Amino acid sequence: MIRPSSLLAFLSLLSLFSFLLLQPASGDSHFEGFDADEDDVAEEPLDPSSFKLVDLPLTVTGDSPSASSTPDSNSNQPDSTPSATTESDASESKPDSSTPAATTTAGFADWDEDEFEGLPTAADTPTTPKSAGASSDEKETPDPNSKQQGERVPWRKQSFTVEIVCVSFLIMFVINYFTGKRENENIALAWAAKFATKDSIFEKNFSLLGVGEGDDSPLLLKEGQNVFKFYASGRRFCQGLLATMELKSRHDLIAKLYNMVVPCKDEITFQVYMNDNAMDHVIFALAKKKAAKMMQKEVRDLQRFAGLVPQPANSKRWVPEELGVVSESKEVAGDLITDAVLEQVFGEKAFEKFGKGFISMHFSDQHPGAHRKMLLFKFALPDASNMADMTRLVALVPYYIDLIGRYKLSSQARSKTEAARNKAAQEAFRELQNARQEALLRKKAEKKEEAEAKLSAEAIRRKEAKDRARQMKKAMPKIKMSRR
Amino acid sequence: MSANDPRQPAAAKPFVPPVVSPEEMPVDYSGFLAVLFGIAGVMFRYKLCSWVALIFCAQSLANMKNIENDLKQISMASMFAIMGLVNNYMGLARPGTKA
Repeated sequence: MIRPSSLLAFLSLLSLFSFLLLQPASGDSHFEGFDADEDDVAEEPLDPSSFKLVDLPLTVTGDSPSASSTPDSNSNQPDSTPSATTESDASESKPDSSTPAATTTAGFADWDEDEFEGLPTAADTPTTPKSAGASSDEKETPDPNSKQQGERVPWRKQSFTVEIVCVSFLIMFVINYFTGKRENENIALAWAAKFATKDSIFEKNFSLLGVGEGDDSPLLLKEGQNVFKFYASGRRFCQGLLATMELKSRHDLIAKLYNMVVPCKDEITFQVYMNDNAMDHVIFALAKKKAAKMMQKEVRDLQRFAGLVPQPANSKRWVPEELGVVSESKEVAGDLITDAVLEQVFGEKAFEKFGKGFISMHFSDQHPGAHRKMLLFKFALPDASNMADMTRLVALVPYYIDLIGRYKLSSQARSKTEAARNKAAQEAFRELQNARQEALLRKKAEKKEEAEAKLSAEAIRRKEAKDRARQMKKAMPKIKMSRR
Repeated sequence: MSANDPRQPAAAKPFVPPVVSPEEMPVDYSGFLAVLFGIAGVMFRYKLCSWVALIFCAQSLANMKNIENDLKQISMASMFAIMGLVNNYMGLARPGTKA
């Protein structure tokens, strides 16, 4: 686990690094200070002459050193009389002005820190106003260096915003990966602890729990940082149960930000594989009104066999308004929405309290996919600490396994469903036959192509000659007969 | 009461993970975007593209489900991204500007 202290350390390093890089830009402040001094110095009467010397044809680089050196020398010798200072200034400024001139006119390409120090005239400047000169020289050299060799060292003045932003995003991503992963694992483990361990509902209903072999098999299978699977088997009426927990992508920072905009829920889906002899012709779905309509349009077996069941006028026991029922037959729907279920979960009062986590329920014996007879339940997962809230919803699962396992349709309902299913079976059979025929034709064509490709060029020519001869022969007899 | 016990140990079937063919797998958008940005970063020498490609590589790695199937594409995308970054910062044939 990455501690916040290491993050702070890294961020401080980054900020220090960026500060160091941006420091040269602040060198201008030194010159600003000197400018202020210049203004003060300009009030003295004799200074304009020294300034005139400085005004000799020079580049910007030439001006600033000499300008800075004069106020420097002035400030360094405050006790001496103005005349003495100006004379020394004049003598100093001359070599000062000449040395930059000499070096600048000599060639920009040669301007180097080392070269500058090596020049004989430059030796005077360190000796007299040594401290001031040295400090001004130091400030001179970075500036001319960076300005004249701007091509060589551009990165000093470049901004690093892109890098800083991206690296900090990557660091946050890595931290979020570990914290999000742990949070997801906690939710999954909390669910398993509540419903899959000793003396829990699944332990009482199924003999084999978990995804491995034997007694100490792991209960949960982690298929990704946000997908967990739980398997149980060994019960009457069904072959097994697979619970898939699809949690929010808390480990992925980009997905997490996306989910802040587009809301998402932690979901758990139960798939119960019913035995072939345990399920009669039942096609039924229950969900929130909008979801039910969507399911009826999109899910293949609901679309084909079932329709939306409106609230029956005569019966008082029905699901609340918010829920929609999709069923093949109203009778079956009524039989599946039992009193017990209404009282516990789907009644008016119970639904407000316990039904918040309910998303959908779908029973089908014509399920598209590998296994035909399936019960599907979809619930929303509560927080890790509130797992007990979904106890009643989870209790629906074994209840309905038993209910559907024992349920037998009445003869009238059966006859209605029988006809529809026969039609569907016939269509499926026809499709299968077509598919098989197409496969055979394709195989034949492929074989022919392969055979042709295998023949060498000569063989092709021979074959073409044969074909032509055959065609001519076919044409020939007609001519003969017409002659006679 | 054991009569009411719904469990049937004899009927227990061990778990068989459902086989998912590579075509049915959900599209790895972040991996695809990583490759796209990586190539763009290399071709156009645009720093931001390479960094964004690296970020998408990281996202694809975080969302990886099977190690065998997905690692190839992720490694290819990450190689493009890193190559783009290396090119941008330590450019090989840049006239006159040696860092």
